[in-house]
Amino acid sequence: MTSRNESAWRQQPSFPETYVVSGLVYHDDNVFALERETIFNKAWILACHESELPEKFDFRTLEIADTPLIVVRGADASLRAFINVCSHRGARLVNERSGNAKAFACFYHRWTYDTKGSCINIPRPEGYQACGVHTGDYGLREVRTEVKLGLVFLNLDDNAFPLDDFLGGALDPLKEILGGVPLEVFHYQRSEIDANWKAWMETNLDTYHTGMHYLLRKTQVDKQRRIRIVAGGHGNTGGMKSAYTNYADWKNREDSMALPGADAREMRNVHLFPNASVITRGTVVRIDTVSPIGPHRTVVECRGLGIKGDTEDERRQRVEHHNQYWGPLGRNLPEDGLAAELCARSYRSGSAHYQVIARDEGLTGQDDGMLRAYYAQWSKMTGLSLSDPRAVTRER
Amino acid sequence: MSSSIDERKICEVVYRGCLALDAEDFDGFMGFCSSQFKYRITVYSPDLRKEMIWLSHDYVGIKAMLESVPQHFKRLGTLKRHVSVYLIEQDAGAPVAKVTSSFLVTSTDPEGRSRLFCAGTYFDEVSIDGGVPMLTSRQAHLETRDLGIGTHIPL
Repeated sequence: MTSRNESAWRQQPSFPETYVVSGLVYHDDNVFALERETIFNKAWILACHESELPEKFDFRTLEIADTPLIVVRGADASLRAFINVCSHRGARLVNERSGNAKAFACFYHRWTYDTKGSCINIPRPEGYQACGVHTGDYGLREVRTEVKLGLVFLNLDDNAFPLDDFLGGALDPLKEILGGVPLEVFHYQRSEIDANWKAWMETNLDTYHTGMHYLLRKTQVDKQRRIRIVAGGHGNTGGMKSAYTNYADWKNREDSMALPGADAREMRNVHLFPNASVITRGTVVRIDTVSPIGPHRTVVECRGLGIKGDTEDERRQRVEHHNQYWGPLGRNLPEDGLAAELCARSYRSGSAHYQVIARDEGLTGQDDGMLRAYYAQWSKMTGLSLSDPRAVTRER
Repeated sequence: MSSSIDERKICEVVYRGCLALDAEDFDGFMGFCSSQFKYRITVYSPDLRKEMIWLSHDYVGIKAMLESVPQHFKRLGTLKRHVSVYLIEQDAGAPVAKVTSSFLVTSTDPEGRSRLFCAGTYFDEVSIDGGVPMLTSRQAHLETRDLGIGTHIPL
C-alpha cells in the first residue's frame, strides 16, 4: 500500500520520545501560552549585538515574545534593559527603534525615567500625596542583562541562572570569530512571517535540506559537516567549506578578508536554545533571532556583522558576501522562509499531524540529532511531551 | 530635440522594464539596460541609524543572478510593480537623464490574494546620448523594511 487511510495517517509512529514532533507543538494556543511562560519568560534570550549601542545613552527597542523592551547604555557604559512600558498607565514608553537619550519621558502624561530605570519625575506630585505615590516606587521593571562575546542576552526571570551556566560551552566554536576583534552590525532586517517560531529555528538546525537550495547545491562542495550537541538544547556545526565561484559570477573570498580564527571559505554555526543562530561564512557573520507574536506569527530578525574599522572596500565586500546568501534578496534566505511558512500552513489547517526527526547518522550533517536535542530542551522547559503535548510529563 | 518625445521614450524604458520584471522576462529586462548598468537596493535602518545596501550588482552580476532565478525555489505567486514617473531631469549636454519614480510592488499568492509587498522610489539614470534610451543605473530605495520571507527577483 503506498497511501494511507485516515486512521493510519493520524497514527503517530511509535518512535522514541524526541524522534517525532506532534503538530500541536506548532499551532496549539495552550502550548504557545506555556512556551511564553516557561521558555521566553525564563531563558536567556539573545536580543542584539553590543555594537548597536556604541555610545553612552544609546538605546535600542525590541521585543521578546511581544514583550516590549528597551536596552540602554548608561552613563557608566553598562548595558541595562527594561520593560518598555510606563509605570503610570501602561503606555509604550519609547517608540523609536533606536536613539540616544539621557531620560525617557512618556508622551502620555510625562512620567520620566533615567537610563537606570529610575522614575525621576511624576508631574503634579502633590496630587498623589493622599495615596503616597512617589517616584522611588515607580521605576521601570529591569530585566537581567549580560553580554558575551558582544552578544547581548536578556532574561525576564530575576532568578535565572547566570548566562554562562545557561550557555555552557555553546559559543566556544566562535570565541575567536566573535571576540578576536570588535565587530559591528551593518545589516538589520526584521520580518514577520506566517510560521511558528520553532519552524524558523528548524531551518537552521536541520543541516540536510541543501537539496532545496540551488545555491547550496552549487557551492557546498565539501560535505564533511559535523554536528555537536551542547547541553541545554544548543548545538553547533562545522567542518564545511564552500566554493563560491560555482555560482553565477561570484568570486572567491580572499583569505585577507577572513575573520579571526576562520578560513575565508569555512562555514561554522552555533545554535542557541531557544531563539538564536550565529552563522559564519569565513568573512562575515549572521545572527538570526526569532521572537513569536503568536503560534502562527513570528518576528525574524537577521543581522549581518563585519569588522569594526573595515576599510570602505572591505566593508563593501563583506556586505556583498552577506547579501549573496542572507539578505532579503539573497539566494538562500527566501527558501528557508518558504519552508517554514509551508510547514506552518499544514499544521495550522490540521493537514499534518506530526513531523519525523528520526535520522540517526552519528552526528554527521545528515543527522537529526541537533533537532532532537533542541526539542528535548523544549520538552524539559515546558514540561510537555513532544509527541503528545496534551500530556504533561512532569510537575512544573 | 523634442523633449516631450524624449520624455516619453525615457518613461517607456522605466515602464517596459517593470513590465518585463513583472513577467519574469529577465532577458527582456536586461534588454533595457546598458552594459554599464549598475543596480542597487538600498534602505535606511532606523534600528541601526544607517543606510543599508541589500543588493548591489553591475550588468554582468545582475544578468548572472537573473539567469539563475529559475533554478531556485522562490516565493509562491507573482510580483507586480506599479510605477509612476515623477521627475525627469536632463542637464544640458549630460549623457543621461535622471528619473525619479515612485513604485509599489504587490504580491499575489497562488490563491489569488494580493497584498502590498513593498513601497519605494526608483532613482534611475537613462542614457540620452543618441540611439535607444537605456537604463544605466537604478537605485531602488525602499521604504518597506519588512519583506517577509524575501524574494529572489529584483524590485
